[in-house]
Amino acid sequence: MTVTITQHATCTFCGCVCDDIELHDDGVKIIKTKAACSLGTSWFLNHTAERLYPDALIDGKEASVDDAVEVAAEYLHRANMPLVYGLSNVTCEAQREAVSLAEKIGAVIDSHTSL
Amino acid sequence: MGGKVSCTLGEVKNRADFILYWGGNPAECHPRHFTKYTIMQKGKFLPEGRKGRTMVLVDIRETMSVKAADIFLQVRPGKDFEVITALRALVKGNRVDTALVEETGLKLEQLQDLVDRMKRCKFGVIFFGMGLSMTRGKHMNSAAVLTLAAEMNAFTKFVAMPMRGHGNVAGADMVLRWTTGYPFGVNLCRGFPRFNPGEFSTVDLLVRGDIDAAFVLGADPGATMPQPGIDTLARVPTIVLDPKVTHTSRLARVHITTSVTGISSPGTAYRMDEVPLPLRPVLKSPYPSDEEVVRRIIAAVDKKTAWLPRPETMSSGVA
Ligand code: SF4
Repeated sequence: MTVTITQHATCTFCGCVCDDIELHDDGVKIIKTKAACSLGTSWFLNHTAERLYPDALIDGKEASVDDAVEVAAEYLHRANMPLVYGLSNVTCEAQREAVSLAEKIGAVIDSHTSL
Repeated sequence: MGGKVSCTLGEVKNRADFILYWGGNPAECHPRHFTKYTIMQKGKFLPEGRKGRTMVLVDIRETMSVKAADIFLQVRPGKDFEVITALRALVKGNRVDTALVEETGLKLEQLQDLVDRMKRCKFGVIFFGMGLSMTRGKHMNSAAVLTLAAEMNAFTKFVAMPMRGHGNVAGADMVLRWTTGYPFGVNLCRGFPRFNPGEFSTVDLLVRGDIDAAFVLGADPGATMPQPGIDTLARVPTIVLDPKVTHTSRLARVHITTSVTGISSPGTAYRMDEVPLPLRPVLKSPYPSDEEVVRRIIAAVDKKTAWLPRPETMSSGVA
């Protein structure tokens, strides 16, 4: 087992976004953190690179990402007033794509801020 | 929140000798806020660290954060706006009715003492949490606190900052602001952005059942929304992008598993003081990133006819 050590990793679990975390990983799991608080540590240790979930689900049945993308596009294109919601646990780059999608399908776009 | 009087957490660390937390419990919700950014740090102009700073906590109940505070003010639930208004009056030297203050659970002397300390400090900061911005008064409370901070600048340097929760929610505000001009709840149904909280906010749209499809990423409204809202998500076609199969995924028509932000997918996240920070993912995920999946959905939508007439196909008769 080779352990890789990464310095200055960023924790996005809370709004502090600490960017001074040291992570030790074995390629599949993070096995140790330094500098992170208890919330951050459990967040890092709880996510792995394992395949725990199906790639995609359509009506609850396993499907390929290609098919799921097509079905999603069909639903969103057909809708008159779709909603794009969330945006909290994703990167700014993904948020920007979401705005672009919202504009394309004529949607309302909203985040946790409105709660 | 355009025009708000704020600063970065680095400035707080180096300069703030007066720190007020209102309606938040950083000890448990933002565990490193005290130690990394605020009270515990030695700053450039605060060589004494904790001893050189005053920390005041305002909340409706005693939380774990009380232990870290020099002064704790317990406000009666739902009375925050009244307290802020009384503080604003005292800052300006106006008379305040003792009986009205007492309804908030505090005494006039306590508020006067707070105002005196605020005026005496060199650099003051108010961090406000969801205990202020999500309770009675909501965004009016946030606006009042921001105004209080702005008005304090007649006497000394003073700023205010919201304590943002979930990871990159600050980034969502920023991205929506720079792309549409508004921070959240933006309606693009007419092809241009319209903003009206209460009308276009998710909880209202879902509870009224106004929408006919939902695209959810980086959230689990199926676990957090009021029941009528969850019913709407189950009724309309809902599409979910998430690293896990969530409550929302279970009532959705389509779920696509994506890699975990920051652990497997790279990108940028905004800290609560609106400083963008790069993520350093360490694990290679078997799943695509949210960014990639959204881009593929856009490509698939692009193959269909546009719902909005393009300018060249519109009739030219309208002056
Ligand atoms: S390490 Fe702790 S305080 Fe820092 S961002 Fe993560 S959860 Fe927040």
